[in-house]
Amino acid sequence: MTGTVPLAVLGITGPPPDHQVVTEFEQVMLVALVFVIMFGLGAGLTPRDFLSALRRPQGLLIGWVTQFGIMPFLAFVLVLVFLLPLPEEYAIPVAIGALLMGAVPAGTTSNIFTYFSKGNLALSVMMTTNSTLWALLMTPLALVLYGSRFLPADSDLQIPTQNIVVTLVVLLVPVVIGMLIRRYNANVGAVLELMGGLVGVFFIVFLLVTWVPRNWRLLVITPIQVYAVAVLLGLLGITVAFLISKAIRLHPANARTVALETGIQNGPLAIAIVLLTFADSEALGILLLVPALYSLFIVLIATAVTLRFRRANVAEEQKIPSLL
Amino acid sequence: MTQFPWLTSYPAATRPDLGQVPERTLPELLRGSAAQYGDTIAFTQVMPNGMNGSLRYDEVDRLSDEFAVYLREVVGLRAGDRVAVQMPNCLSYPVVAFGVLKAGCVLVNTNPLYTRPEMVHQFADAGARALVISDIFADRLPDVLPSTSVETVVTVPISAFFPRVIAGIIRATQKYWQRSLPAITVDHTPLRAALAEGRERRPSADLSAYLADVGPESVAALQYTGGTTGVSKGAMLSHGNLVTNTRQMLEMLGDHVRPGKETVLTALPLYHIFAFTVNLLGFHTMGGRNLLIPTPRPPSNLKRAFENYRITWLTGVNTLFNALLNERWFVEHPPRHLVASAAGGMALHASVAERWREVTGTPIVEGYGLTESSPVLTFNPLGSTIKDGTIGIPVPSTEVRCVADDGAPLGPGEAGELVARGPQIMLGYWQRPEETAATVRGGWLYTGDVAEMDADGFFRIVDRKKDVVNVSGFNVYPTEVEACLTAMPGIREAGVIGAPDERTGESVRAYVVAEDPRPTEAEVIAHCRANLAAYKVPRSVEFLDELPLSNVGKILRRELRDDPPVTAGSSAHATSDTKAERS
Repeated sequence: MTGTVPLAVLGITGPPPDHQVVTEFEQVMLVALVFVIMFGLGAGLTPRDFLSALRRPQGLLIGWVTQFGIMPFLAFVLVLVFLLPLPEEYAIPVAIGALLMGAVPAGTTSNIFTYFSKGNLALSVMMTTNSTLWALLMTPLALVLYGSRFLPADSDLQIPTQNIVVTLVVLLVPVVIGMLIRRYNANVGAVLELMGGLVGVFFIVFLLVTWVPRNWRLLVITPIQVYAVAVLLGLLGITVAFLISKAIRLHPANARTVALETGIQNGPLAIAIVLLTFADSEALGILLLVPALYSLFIVLIATAVTLRFRRANVAEEQKIPSLL
Repeated sequence: MTQFPWLTSYPAATRPDLGQVPERTLPELLRGSAAQYGDTIAFTQVMPNGMNGSLRYDEVDRLSDEFAVYLREVVGLRAGDRVAVQMPNCLSYPVVAFGVLKAGCVLVNTNPLYTRPEMVHQFADAGARALVISDIFADRLPDVLPSTSVETVVTVPISAFFPRVIAGIIRATQKYWQRSLPAITVDHTPLRAALAEGRERRPSADLSAYLADVGPESVAALQYTGGTTGVSKGAMLSHGNLVTNTRQMLEMLGDHVRPGKETVLTALPLYHIFAFTVNLLGFHTMGGRNLLIPTPRPPSNLKRAFENYRITWLTGVNTLFNALLNERWFVEHPPRHLVASAAGGMALHASVAERWREVTGTPIVEGYGLTESSPVLTFNPLGSTIKDGTIGIPVPSTEVRCVADDGAPLGPGEAGELVARGPQIMLGYWQRPEETAATVRGGWLYTGDVAEMDADGFFRIVDRKKDVVNVSGFNVYPTEVEACLTAMPGIREAGVIGAPDERTGESVRAYVVAEDPRPTEAEVIAHCRANLAAYKVPRSVEFLDELPLSNVGKILRRELRDDPPVTAGSSAHATSDTKAERS
């Protein structure tokens, strides 16, 4: 009975009431993908990286501010503007999904886009790691802080703060294992790291070929406001972070990095959190709408931004593999 | 030799005279270390993302035997035939280079950055019969081969000898992601196939027969250099030269190189004589592990090597040390197991040396040498006094002195041309007796560098060979760049000098006289880029109305350097004003 759709509130006919927005197979797949991504993240790290980051917190501070200051706030504003006018029973689960999307840490796909934008790859990886660790504290905090502003006290749907923390902790386990593997076999580590990045792309393909067609009818009747939130969250995130980076005169490569890092959230992680913490909720399918749509659109947005960033950069390309 | 002032500066364990070294040829040296260190790791190639492959001493020994058999039995080369090798640092390099030497053939190290004309010149001049080339550069071959004597081409993938899955990933990345694998349209044999053929014939082959006529006086390598005159020519380094220089260098380093215990970062290219002798031959002789870095730039490419391996030794040029000191990850976590570092190729800046010691807590010593001297002539003694800003004292069995213009030896504190003699001085330039006679006179190698010696026998370079531009340890000969410039339509005359450069020590600056309509600076640079290796391309181009010339019409580079003319670039009358003021 996971993920039935209370669409009747919108006064439109949606898919049959027993339609599953996410099948159990998809759930297992998605969680597995997130684990691979986290493995890859860990395989790129050494304890030295953490020491370096601690020694020079100001570099990461800007990323921290944009990641946990701006993104959740943007999500909250978008919820207020676009979602709350919708009928409450529909709006609340979509809004929680949107807020979660704004509150999760940066995704590993941001590292790929940073690479193609000729940004600062090391900074990107460090920001991703940093925000993933901080998410333990900041993601539940942001959810509670902003969620309490629009969640009715008597709502069936409450934010399971504890479950979210537990989920994040569980997801840190593969990060640690990734670090250990890399320590004992650099080749396996490098492969895991590479896979972690590629799986992010595979995840999108997975969504496109299975989830989208199966949920086509649902997507067709989903109000335009929901799409607006999914698209604007990433787009505004990148823009605002870029403008701030420019204003405080970061090096152009670092400004591009911070922008992409901020706007590109860890979509798979948000979906995994929903799946693992709202597993029994009636509204599971609706909760997933923004995270799923965001994950699809961010690829297009980030590609467009990357192309624009690349035009501003004429650095000479290297012939011998520099990615490797 | 007791009268030399530097004898008292040697570390206690260093013999001032090596006498006869134990090995007659390089294959003897290589087989000795293979027998002694068989199952320890000799080479590890580290890609920027940490992917790596390794070869043990016994594997390198077996594979290079197979390659030697391939060259002799399958290709049909004879002792003394030249084999050009053109690849970045990778596991194939020792296999191929050692194989060439074991076959009794002559190794012609070739810079992979070379453009087509440069390749043609070098292969044709050396009369290379075979070429072993990294497959990423093979697209240049159709233009190059017809003008050379190369009959056999062996191609080498960058991922050779990696674990199969890892090699597959690297290959796929090169092919589909970076698209850096050109289609190879000329006849070629992949290294794997060549080794398989060698393996097949190995049982019936007599490897010792390949070296029957090879002795200490036989040429082992043609190492191309511009020398003092600028035309690229091959310095003939004999087996005796290279074996002795390896032993001289190791004698000088003494117990700072612990047998079987060192891991040396080889970020400098092995086709360069410094890394070839010091890292490839020196550390390999002592059972060390060479970490081969294919692309050391940007310096972040070295991060994984530093994270994943206990690096105990580092060799490099000033540029590399300086670049590492500018990397946060390096400064915050300097290698903990480092014993010492050796600098050569170009002057080590005192500020860099000082900072290096401060950051790593280990010594860094500067040495000096030329391609023509295999290359090491002098080194600061690690186990004794190190004098910053000097190139140290002569290595054992080597005599160095400063001479006046008439060749008369000068005393301490008197500056004159640095000349050297010893068992590491080349046999001469390949097929260029006149150039040889001008450079090696009465057994003394004339370096063209002006130096002075202090009372303790330490030498200090006062004035480098005036005209040669040293870009990160690579010599750029102004004549070559000038010839390239004047070959461009619209450029009448060109003068090339070295300008100080924070990153590379020096960079190439060109002054040109052009006809109207004048080409732009970008066009001139693009022209050079098409014809010269990247490090030779001028960083800046200035347009002049005329070049300062001597009364015989020779371009006065010294004047361009010491008294940079105001360019005709932006406003013509500004130039004439300045001229008026000057006169």
